Amino acid sequence: MKRCYKCGQKAVVFLKHHRIAFCREHYIEWYLRRVEQTIKEFRMFGKEDKLLVAISGGKDSLSLWDALYRLSYSADGLYINLGIGEYSQKSLQACKNFADKRGLKLHVLDLQKEIATIPQIKEVEKRPACSFCGQLKRYYMNRFARMHGYTVIATGHNLDDESATLFSNVLSWNIEYLARQYPVLPESDGLVRKVKPLVKFTEKENALYAFLSGIDYVEEECPFAEGASSIEHKKILSQLEEKSPGTKLRFYMDFIRKFHALLGHKEVRLRPCSLCGEPTVSEVCSVCKLKEKTNLKTLSSLPNS
Amino acid sequence: MKVKVHYRGQLKELEFEKQSVRAVDVLKALGLSSEYAFVVRGDEILDEKEIIKDGEELRVINAISGGLEYL
Repeated sequence: MKRCYKCGQKAVVFLKHHRIAFCREHYIEWYLRRVEQTIKEFRMFGKEDKLLVAISGGKDSLSLWDALYRLSYSADGLYINLGIGEYSQKSLQACKNFADKRGLKLHVLDLQKEIATIPQIKEVEKRPACSFCGQLKRYYMNRFARMHGYTVIATGHNLDDESATLFSNVLSWNIEYLARQYPVLPESDGLVRKVKPLVKFTEKENALYAFLSGIDYVEEECPFAEGASSIEHKKILSQLEEKSPGTKLRFYMDFIRKFHALLGHKEVRLRPCSLCGEPTVSEVCSVCKLKEKTNLKTLSSLPNS
Repeated sequence: MKVKVHYRGQLKELEFEKQSVRAVDVLKALGLSSEYAFVVRGDEILDEKEIIKDGEELRVINAISGGLEYL
């Protein structure tokens, strides 16, 4: 039987890559301390900042919101209702329950009112759903945060997300994307600062935190994520991790500490979209283009068109 | 022996030919690894070597989620 390295009680969690075991109480303590250390290491934000946490109803975002709340940061939540049937309904309910239980403020943005639901957009868009869904979430998160005076957007991206992204970007040597992969994306013209305080935690560590903290989150996978290459990449990295614990953390953190700075910073000129005014690199932003496509489809399906 | 498992909103029944089944075998039967998944009995997280009894009802949590938009 493994024992908690802090108190000697029966351990409930053993973290192979840290070679450390914890009881419930000391795992939560370790997790919160590590979140705080990550926030400070990358100078993400301070107690004076007004944070907007992007909430999906899953383990990562709810664990993040819970940790920020316990660490006394000022953090409200934003749930974007993607309109993916029962999955979105369950996710919204989980977010509402979480916020109500802790007396936290949750904003809900309905994608259908803004443009269309993800299944509707999928009918007109050839790209994988995860690709345009991510784009839409980034756009509306930023717009919402700026319009409501939030200074920082926090997302629950974890070590598995980041190492899988890094793996994919290295496989294709996508230098532009590699240069943008960092735990903090500073604010710039029209863009609110974005931070990822959970980059040093594996998905399992977040799930353990959620479970041990009594957070009810949605375990089911988004139906559109089935077969996503990111899941395959995560499994490949997990196989490496199994043989050599610590591989993922080393792969990602060594990239951040030793390699990222070598990529240099390429200034991207942003200008307001001529239709919506949001920052973009082209005349019309990608979300307005998607809106136009979706509207054309709606018009063409009307009886008299 | 048979084990009932609550997994991602579904109740599955797993059947094992061997009599000595451990938590890690339950994960393997679902095609999962202890690198990203774990077994729960009541409110207790099981060590992967923990022995499972015939007819037990367990919960399996798979932490992997996908659908990343690569940046």
